[in-house]
Amino acid sequence: MKVIEIKDLVKIYNSSEVQVKAVNGINLDFEEGEFAAVVGPSGSGKTTFLNMVGGLDRPTSGEVIVGGTNIWELKSRKLIDFRLRNIGFVFQAYNLIPVLTARENVEFIMHLQGRDKHERNQRVNELLTAVGLGERMESRPSKLSGGQQQRVAVARALASKPKFILADEPTANLDSKSTENLLDMMEKLNKEENITFIFSTHDARVVKKARRVITLDDGKVTSDEKK
Amino acid sequence: MKTYFKLAWRNLWRNKRRSLITIASIFFGVFFAIFLSSIQKGSFENILENMVKFYSGYIQIQGEKYKDNKSLNQSFEDNDLLRGKVASETNVTHFASRIESFALSAFKDQTYAAVVLGIEPAQENQISEISKWISQGTYFTKSNEVNGVLIGSQLAENLGIGVNDTLVLIGQGYHGQTAAGKFPVLGLLKFPLPDLNKQMIYMSLESARNFYSMPDRSTSMVLMVDNVDKIDKTIDHLEQAIDKNLKVYSWKEIQPELENFIQGKLAGGKIMKGILFMVIGFGIWGTIIMLMAERKRELGIIIALGVRKIRVMRIIVLESFLIGFIGVVIGSITSLPLVSYLYLHPVHVSGSIKETYESMGFEPVLKFSIHPDNFISPAITVFILFTAITLYAVWYIARLKTASALRA
Repeated sequence: MKVIEIKDLVKIYNSSEVQVKAVNGINLDFEEGEFAAVVGPSGSGKTTFLNMVGGLDRPTSGEVIVGGTNIWELKSRKLIDFRLRNIGFVFQAYNLIPVLTARENVEFIMHLQGRDKHERNQRVNELLTAVGLGERMESRPSKLSGGQQQRVAVARALASKPKFILADEPTANLDSKSTENLLDMMEKLNKEENITFIFSTHDARVVKKARRVITLDDGKVTSDEKK
Repeated sequence: MKTYFKLAWRNLWRNKRRSLITIASIFFGVFFAIFLSSIQKGSFENILENMVKFYSGYIQIQGEKYKDNKSLNQSFEDNDLLRGKVASETNVTHFASRIESFALSAFKDQTYAAVVLGIEPAQENQISEISKWISQGTYFTKSNEVNGVLIGSQLAENLGIGVNDTLVLIGQGYHGQTAAGKFPVLGLLKFPLPDLNKQMIYMSLESARNFYSMPDRSTSMVLMVDNVDKIDKTIDHLEQAIDKNLKVYSWKEIQPELENFIQGKLAGGKIMKGILFMVIGFGIWGTIIMLMAERKRELGIIIALGVRKIRVMRIIVLESFLIGFIGVVIGSITSLPLVSYLYLHPVHVSGSIKETYESMGFEPVLKFSIHPDNFISPAITVFILFTAITLYAVWYIARLKTASALRA
């Protein structure tokens, strides 16, 4: 079942002198349960592509259809609500709310969704235990390592029960051990709960784990390999 | 709301030092604004009380045209009906009628022009406390008030007259009648104002009525009130109740120069407080600008996760409000005991300041006011200041591009 359909996606940045085509006519589909990596050199358009798929950066043209909805036809407020209910995000480092504990960071999303306290507590416990942080629930981000913070970010992304998770270079600031742990954990969740993961990455370790590798260069898809 | 409050509260203490400095600046601003308002208002109340007591009263009833033509011919019939209406007004605490005119005063071969004030000795003393200025002799008593006069010390010196001597007065009475009489001097008055000492002669209202041939008439009736904030209401009531040929004035109409002086000083105080709050405001604005710039990425993440911008604005506004609220509360609470103490124990000034006060006829004390306005007004000012400043934060969030914020 298709989770995301991307049609003729283009993003052009206009500066005073030049036009830069960051994404240049991408057509892709993502199926439920995929574990895909978008790779390419710096400036190839990976982050811009992910931002447009995630409803964070408006494309110049093209469509991003999630579950039958062209997300860029939604009004700004509806789009924010759509993101809240359908898309999970894991950014690079420092993406947790620093004044909230691990538990509160994960719970925050469900609170925004209007879930009741009992359900929130249950799911926070499940998720933080699943990412191996059952003992660190009450710690604030500053008391967690970079790897642990990213695990909390994954738990938070999962908390809203999204249709897919977008992770923009999630291992960029992690050491090898933490990277390995994080990838194992995400792969496990992908397999056990059939959650779709799409990464942008430079990291060979992520590429190795991915079951689909999409290569971008100058804003275009140059290869799309399924393992 | 609880979650947003929790976020705002914890964010407030993320950078403790900065928040404390911001709160401290608001605290000092509020504290000094309250102190300044209190001393200013207290001083003006003191000046007003002195001037009002001594001269105009808070309210005056006069004949219809007396204000523009201070002639005995513009006096009014001072009857029991009028007095009954005035006495029944709940805000009026004391009232006394006066006759104010002029006469030539003479003793032996000396003659000087004088202001003659006919007063109701007992009632007038409750209002203007004239008896405390007696330097020689005695104030009016029931037995001596019919004929005796009190005379300004400088006038007495000029005339060469003393207590128990007889003063001759010649003037023009009601409707041009000749006014002439001899009056024993009961006492000398030494006021703080030299001008008064040079020209004032006091006699009982009854004596003045006889002297000026105007039985049962007065040129003004002076009223003191319990609550100065209700003066306008009291005037409205009186205007409805008394003869339509009489005019009721507030002290502001009788002494417009005093009102202008007070309003001018108050405006000066407002400008000072305005500058104080402007300095504080720019400081807070700087803090908010830093705060927004530092948290651009964090705000981007929160919006990316699915928090509507309006909710993000709410968090930031709440955070700013908390800073302002804490500053205002601490400033108000700490200033209250100090201002209350000074209200109960006015500062007695000495040296040249004391002389200046006394030369103006004022009690040489610095009085403080504990009027609620002194506390409410800085709080409202800070609230307006914060509203204006948080508009910047709201504008910043409104134009925040999520994708670019995430790259910050």
